[in-house]
Amino acid sequence: MTRERVFIAGMGVVSPLGSGVAETRSALAGGLSGIRPLSLFQTPGNIPHPVGQVRCQLGGHSIPRTHQLARIAADQAMANCREAPDVVVVGTTTGGMHTTESLLKDKNDDPGAYRWHSAGSVTEDIAGRFGCKGAVLTVSTACSSGAVAIKIALEMLRTGKARRALAGGADSLCRLTYYGFNTLQLIDPEGARPLDKDRRGLSVAEGAGMLLLVAGDPSNAVAELLGAGLSCDAFHPAAPQPEGQGAYRAMRSALEDAGLAVSDIDYINLHGTGTPDNDLAEARAVNRMFMDFQPLVSSVKGAIGHPLAAAGAIEVVIAAICIAGQLVPANTGASFPDPALKLSPVMSPRHTRVRTVLSNSFGFGGNNASVVIGAPADRATPASAVIGPMRVVAGACFTGAGNTARTLAHLSAGASCKGVLSVDEISSDLSARLVRRLKYLPRLAMALADEAHRRSGAKEPPSSIFLGTGWGALSETHEFLSSLFETSEKFSSPTNFIGSVHNAPAGHVAIMFGATGANVTTTGGDYSFEQALMTAYHLGRGEGKTALVIGADEYHEKLSGLFDPSVQPDDIPSAGGGALILASDSTPAGVTVFPGFSAMAENHSDVVAALVQSLGGSDRIKACFGVLLAGIPGAHRSAGAAQLEAFLASSGFKQPVIEYRKLVGEFASASAVAAFMAVNFTQAGTIPGPLCNGRAVQLSGKGCLVLGLGKFVTAMEVVLR
Amino acid sequence: MEQLINELKVRMVDILDLAGASPTTMDVDGPLVGGTLGLDSIDVLEMVIMIEKDYGVRIDNRELGERVFASLTTLAAYIYENSPRLKK
Repeated sequence: MTRERVFIAGMGVVSPLGSGVAETRSALAGGLSGIRPLSLFQTPGNIPHPVGQVRCQLGGHSIPRTHQLARIAADQAMANCREAPDVVVVGTTTGGMHTTESLLKDKNDDPGAYRWHSAGSVTEDIAGRFGCKGAVLTVSTACSSGAVAIKIALEMLRTGKARRALAGGADSLCRLTYYGFNTLQLIDPEGARPLDKDRRGLSVAEGAGMLLLVAGDPSNAVAELLGAGLSCDAFHPAAPQPEGQGAYRAMRSALEDAGLAVSDIDYINLHGTGTPDNDLAEARAVNRMFMDFQPLVSSVKGAIGHPLAAAGAIEVVIAAICIAGQLVPANTGASFPDPALKLSPVMSPRHTRVRTVLSNSFGFGGNNASVVIGAPADRATPASAVIGPMRVVAGACFTGAGNTARTLAHLSAGASCKGVLSVDEISSDLSARLVRRLKYLPRLAMALADEAHRRSGAKEPPSSIFLGTGWGALSETHEFLSSLFETSEKFSSPTNFIGSVHNAPAGHVAIMFGATGANVTTTGGDYSFEQALMTAYHLGRGEGKTALVIGADEYHEKLSGLFDPSVQPDDIPSAGGGALILASDSTPAGVTVFPGFSAMAENHSDVVAALVQSLGGSDRIKACFGVLLAGIPGAHRSAGAAQLEAFLASSGFKQPVIEYRKLVGEFASASAVAAFMAVNFTQAGTIPGPLCNGRAVQLSGKGCLVLGLGKFVTAMEVVLR
Repeated sequence: MEQLINELKVRMVDILDLAGASPTTMDVDGPLVGGTLGLDSIDVLEMVIMIEKDYGVRIDNRELGERVFASLTTLAAYIYENSPRLKK
């Protein structure tokens, strides 16, 4: 069976160069720059730096700026499509932060005011807008988010999980990123000058890029999405590996994925942020890989600035504009290319033959992504890999009751695991040097990873890391913004800025393990772990290699109550997470896990019927599963309870139902603990009596079904193979 | 100067969370970055903020930073020279 080819059928873009493909094309052809001094918010006591601010009129102020930008680009991409996308995958790091930080500055304590805070709400808004009935994934891998989102969508289309995907990235300017890069001394006061010998840093920017991707049908295609590759530096939380090893691996993997040779690439759209270290590392990687075949190269970040999570998606749109218009954009901003880089950037817009473009996006956490697109043409397509459930090698969990052993002991006794471990309790097995400067969430993720790896008994740690977190690093975010506001926006900690990105914890796990494979952080409130599992299922495969999937969330005294509506109804604060190490090998025996179903409830007229159907109907459900672990988050208790009742009625399932949040507590990634519980029960073949009205239940070869209910309906199937 | 060096040592251990490092045994002339303390560029930036906040001395570019953060002695000397808040 040949793999489905994937085409770009629609595109949308909004950036400092304008809104829409036509405006963007004309600005690029004219060699214009959109970088101007910041005016979006005041910078007390400081002259505003040049930034890439979107100047066109946005939709309105009822939703945060990132959401508005995302809507503009998505509407453009979907303009000629009457059908709903099967999946929506969006990369964003700031989400509603621009609004949130103003609310926090004003000491607004109304949780309702923060309802658009989460990064996931950007994607949910887009998915709702177009009535997407399938998976809705939010990627948060800092500056590579948009490109990683495109890679995930590509794999979902190739494997037949979807026929149409809307994928891209969006981020708005906000104080967190503006001051954050400033504390890192990574802002060029003259405006970004990528590849210039005098470059001093980037210009923070905003924008959105969206692509409508379709499988199989090249009619009306703008370009073909030929391949993409991911890698992780596993080197440093913020600085790139100096030799560009991670960048090299991402580009190499993208070309292999596309089935192309280096000589096939006509133009490289560089990440080229304008920071001294990025440009040098990337140049080294390009020189190592392309040697004598060096294609045309330029960075557009001197024209648009660095729109962070949107960059990868905007630049794929630009790459498609290059192919459609036979245009290579200028390396705007630079006057004298740095001879140390050994690159010859295109200095003014050039009309020339462009058939194939490689676009690079690298981010904090060493998260790298490269995407290859080409003019639609007759091509041989490689065979499709057959993919099935992944085998669970080992797992771990932490709850208020303690580490894995303590949590399992509590659960077996039917005792509550609610509560919050102290930061010292969580990191007691981690070396002090390793966790220096780290706060709660990265320590929790590392502790889960470390314990899962030790329990696996394997010599080699997992090579790819997937982490789902509902709310990210709250302690770092809160401390960064608090210090900023306390010092009249003068001082804040660079460590806290680097730590505030959602993907920082997974980056630390990669450094601890030397894990240089894909490294993806997903976020979507109470369903974040399920998103990470689905991502791992599509990107974490490889013979002889394992993938680590983590779900982790901290409890923050100030922010959890404001951001997370699910923690509000519970009197006992809770935190924790779970981790599974998965193998895609064909070892016959073992427990497997499969992310079966995921959909936003409001986009379905009958989501429960769709769930039952996707699980294979009533007979299969009764035959395969001996227990149901139901996750009804605090924010959706009545909707979740109604969905559960409907599911039981529709499937005829009569076996025990365990509402696991009543035991493990309310935190967004509680489902990661449930997945680990399900693996343990399935392995043991029995459910302890205290969890089933006093009488132990024998599974007799059956597995466990883990359902997420409420705003989303999700299913994780855990069975014996 | 000596008092300033001692002050800086204590602050470093505190803000950089250098568990196990004792101010009394720190090498004042050894390299700060990549030395025995295991400091990196982020630690340096963290110190930059503290130095501006507490001593009113700005170190806002990489070239200057590399010179000033060569060792504790060079750092103290630069602060001593440039701080409007220290009595000389």
